[in-house]
Amino acid sequence: MPIQNPNPNKKKKKHSNQDDDEDDTVQGKQQTQFEFCKVCRLNHNQGRRHIYFPNHKKALSSFLYRFQSKFKNDVAFYLKKPMPLRPEHAALNRLWCVFCDFDILEYDSSFACGNAIAHLASAEHLKGLKSFLWKYGGGMDRMDSFRISESDFTKWEKKCKLLKSEAAGGGSHGSLIGPLNDIHNESKSEYVNSFDKNKLDCLTSDVKCSNSVVPLQDHTIERSQISHSKICTVGPQILHAGTGVGLGARTPNGLPGFFGNQHYTHSVPKEGPAYSCPNDGKQVYPYEGIAIGDGHSQGTSSEESRLQSLQNLTQISSSAQENGGGNVHSGAPPPWFSAAEKIQLDNKLNQGLGDLVSSLGEQMKTSKLNPKRVGAAWAERRKIELELEKRGELVRHDFGADWLPNFGRVWQSGSRKDSRKEFLGENKTWRKVDSQIEKPSQLQPYISKRMRTENTAE
Amino acid sequence: MNYLLTTLTKKQEVDSMIRDTIDKVLVLCFGRASDSIFLQLDEILYKSVREVSKFATVALVDIDSDDVQVYVKYFDITLIPSTVFFFNAHHMKMDCGSADHTKWVGTFLRKQDFLDVVEAIYRGAMKGKLIVTCPLPPDRIPKFHLLYEDV
Repeated sequence: MPIQNPNPNKKKKKHSNQDDDEDDTVQGKQQTQFEFCKVCRLNHNQGRRHIYFPNHKKALSSFLYRFQSKFKNDVAFYLKKPMPLRPEHAALNRLWCVFCDFDILEYDSSFACGNAIAHLASAEHLKGLKSFLWKYGGGMDRMDSFRISESDFTKWEKKCKLLKSEAAGGGSHGSLIGPLNDIHNESKSEYVNSFDKNKLDCLTSDVKCSNSVVPLQDHTIERSQISHSKICTVGPQILHAGTGVGLGARTPNGLPGFFGNQHYTHSVPKEGPAYSCPNDGKQVYPYEGIAIGDGHSQGTSSEESRLQSLQNLTQISSSAQENGGGNVHSGAPPPWFSAAEKIQLDNKLNQGLGDLVSSLGEQMKTSKLNPKRVGAAWAERRKIELELEKRGELVRHDFGADWLPNFGRVWQSGSRKDSRKEFLGENKTWRKVDSQIEKPSQLQPYISKRMRTENTAE
Repeated sequence: MNYLLTTLTKKQEVDSMIRDTIDKVLVLCFGRASDSIFLQLDEILYKSVREVSKFATVALVDIDSDDVQVYVKYFDITLIPSTVFFFNAHHMKMDCGSADHTKWVGTFLRKQDFLDVVEAIYRGAMKGKLIVTCPLPPDRIPKFHLLYEDV
């Protein structure tokens, strides 16, 4: 045994030597072993050193930046403002989570980026994020910018629920002009009850309508046009009320420009504040009659499930929408003008078109044109003059036959006013000469020497 | 004469043209309808009128009419066709490498040349410059000799 003891030591030592050797070789193997860096998209054998290389750092920053921009533009926006998701746009709404390496699809979510938000708030994502950052050296302090905190997520969920319930309780009655909550709280029960009745009518009429052209039912079209067109401008809410007029209310499925999330994010924020709470309280919530509008065209499973889940098809009553919104028949301006423009339009209609249109147009133009441009002051004056002439206030007076424009002559040495004076001076002598000699009035391709010398001599 | 653009024959017409063209370049071409080069110029202008219509107006002036002789002299028009550019009733000069910056003498070799010239004038005018440089290379600019220098 004691004999053996030293042996194991030796062996151990040897072993350790061997281990060292092995370690070296293992390390060497590690060094020679190739890994794929997802960020640089590069196979390298540098092991852990790779993440500190400047190229990798650059690649990483651009990589994270790209993801972050997608995150900010799309997901973060919808986190703040949950909006319902239309099936056509679901395909566009997907997000690739670079940390967890999987594609987040939105086919079965009812809210825009719903699945993405859920994923980004989840624990698995956090795990994936941490491992990614460790592996690729992103800096652990930046973690929060790539995930959604739980508090934000719960807020978002609450907003979504609110939206859903509003949509379910939705529709609007003439008596209800006011903020969201009132409608939600007061009359939800009434709506739920009445909708069931209406729903049947709608469905049956839809069935009838699907194959034949039915004379349009005025009220519903007005309602639907006003309601949906107002909402249309608010980003992806293009679900409109097509109650009872299956065909008739096959109003444009969203405005043509609204494809792709990027468009939403760019266009909506500008108009967002204007539409967050329409003053007249004619909020029509976008879940009405999905089935009716689109059901007979594309019966996808998601729609059906949505149908089943919502069930509360709302009918917009006629009295609500006629509170001064106007419509196509009354000649009102279409609601897709921005609110500001609409106010201006209203003013115009009230005060008379001609003046204000022109003055507005001019104001717009002058505000855009460079005030330093050539002849700006003259142009402004002239515009005012023309406007006055149009209005008939200023009688057009012919400018003297002697008016000459501002012209810089060829061989002129002073300012342009001097040139004019010079010319006028020459002109007087010319007129004298003119009466005597007839030929000069006929221009040859070049003026003969005699005329020229006479001219310059004066 | 149908193929010519709006031809002005009276000073008053020219005046009103100059005064009423606001914030647009006014291209006034002086020439004679019987001149072949003038007709060539007219052809090019006619093709381009619509394209520049948002920032330029084009008009022809018949130099044979008595009424506009004042302008002929005022603008020192000695070679035809001559084109003078105005912006907001101010005369725009263009340096084409020739001695005369106040006008464009001759025709344009291509429609695109004309468009380039008008665009250069417009850009310069919008920036507040009264004289601009010609964007065309020298081989595209018709050469002429200014016959007489100031004594």
